[in-house]
Amino acid sequence: MRVVDTKGQQCPAPLIATRKAIKESKEGETIRIIIDNKTSFDNVARFLRDNNILFSSEEEKGVWTLTVTKTGTGEPSESIEEYCTVAVPHFNKGNFVIVFSSDKMGEGDKELGTMLMSNFIRAVKDLDVLPGKMLFYNSGVRLGTTDSDVYESLKEIEQMGVGLLFCGTCVKFYDIQEKIKIGILSNMFEIAQLMASAGNIVKP
Amino acid sequence: MKVDLLRFVESGGCSAKISPKMLEEILKYLPLPHDPNILVDIDTHDDAGVYRVNDDLALVLTTDFFPPVCSDPYEFGQIAATNSISDIYAMGGTPVLALNIMMFPAAKLPMSAYSEILKGGYDTASEAGVRIIGGHTIDDSTPKYGLAVVGYIDPEKIITNAGAKPGDVLILTKPVGTGIILAGQKLGMTQEKDILEALGFMKQLNRSAAEVMKNFNICGATDITGFGLAGHALKMANASGVSITLNMKKVPLIGSAYSLLEEGCIPGAAFRNLDYADKDTDCDANLDYNLKMAAFDAQTSGGLLMSVAPGSADMVLSGLHSCGLEHSAIIGEVIERGKKFIYLYM
Repeated sequence: MRVVDTKGQQCPAPLIATRKAIKESKEGETIRIIIDNKTSFDNVARFLRDNNILFSSEEEKGVWTLTVTKTGTGEPSESIEEYCTVAVPHFNKGNFVIVFSSDKMGEGDKELGTMLMSNFIRAVKDLDVLPGKMLFYNSGVRLGTTDSDVYESLKEIEQMGVGLLFCGTCVKFYDIQEKIKIGILSNMFEIAQLMASAGNIVKP
Repeated sequence: MKVDLLRFVESGGCSAKISPKMLEEILKYLPLPHDPNILVDIDTHDDAGVYRVNDDLALVLTTDFFPPVCSDPYEFGQIAATNSISDIYAMGGTPVLALNIMMFPAAKLPMSAYSEILKGGYDTASEAGVRIIGGHTIDDSTPKYGLAVVGYIDPEKIITNAGAKPGDVLILTKPVGTGIILAGQKLGMTQEKDILEALGFMKQLNRSAAEVMKNFNICGATDITGFGLAGHALKMANASGVSITLNMKKVPLIGSAYSLLEEGCIPGAAFRNLDYADKDTDCDANLDYNLKMAAFDAQTSGGLLMSVAPGSADMVLSGLHSCGLEHSAIIGEVIERGKKFIYLYM
């Protein structure tokens, strides 16, 4: 375990220290990086993300601790698109999942329900803490089609690092396989497992 | 007493610009004046404003000032003045008059430093044929200096960042990396010779580059400053309604800028510029990370980026080389507007 304490240092000094530590550490070694200003934290996090280096981070009273485990060379990112549109990660992901069991929000008028759901999804994007995953089943899967009102918002949320899982059975049932271009198709076991292991389940 | 201006600054030069994102947000709410004589305004994020006086004459106006980028007051004055005048050159104008803008910690620095900064500005202005006819100084904790410059231009021959056409090639007249070199200097990582090289480029007027542009009737150009090469190229692509490809392997870098990047010396301003341009930029999967960040490095008093018809590119390039701008290189192309404004590859 290697500790890089950059408290009191300004950009780019924390990044230089981080890069040096990663270069010098052995495979499998854990590196803990301590940063006491948001800009430096954002930049180091961005750097790690861009270079496919996995890390976790926590903040306490304006001090960020990033934990990196060196795992050899990072896998190149799958799509160039994704690589370049990753927003600067100001966001934290929380231990909760959002479940979409319908394409409408709440009981009542259908038109109102559709509108509320659109607003809800747009609001998710701006949450301080993003969900770990978003799960879609039954008519909820329709939200993810390319012609859905919230398609662009969901795509953005996905690019911010949130996993979107669509129930494969449901997608087949509604015959919209062709129109689901985001997220991954999943099965009931995985969905059940994610729901069971989530700290909280949010259901609009 | 030896004065070190760098003691006073956290981010010097054009790195001190506020984030382009924030600026756009603010400017959105400011109404633009409507006047048929305003030929170029902030609407296209151009380098300077242009106002028509009559059919043969328009005025180009610009201002720029920033905290120190180097220790020596005289040199700082030279660089700040070069940078301020550059916007006039980028529009194809002839700079004529200027006013000093200065902030100076009178209690913390000797008056000789104050006069050295002004002298540096004055000498560079003279070299450019600019008369400084006044100015204004405020007592402030961090020194800052620059000029407000007025130039002449033929209203029919304005070079703007909206003049890039698909098929054109892009020529850059100075190497990039001043932000990286300066950040490394503050951390004691940059070698003396690289600092000198960077200072040399920052002091180099874009005058001869502008002359070459005028000789070849080039109508699209911008100067590369705080938003970095990719940031200014993005503004150009946007204003021109085109997309731009930049081959980062062809972009000349100052001295050891690459190895500084490799060590993680990536200035905060580069991340800020990347953040701004991210959604409009596509990076090839093979693009080297350090070269990507070089594209976003904030430049102080950078070179001109010109959009040149492919037929005359070789002649323009040799024109630039023969007037001492030997680092000038073709670094990219203008293409039809695509999904993104900027395509970075190597």
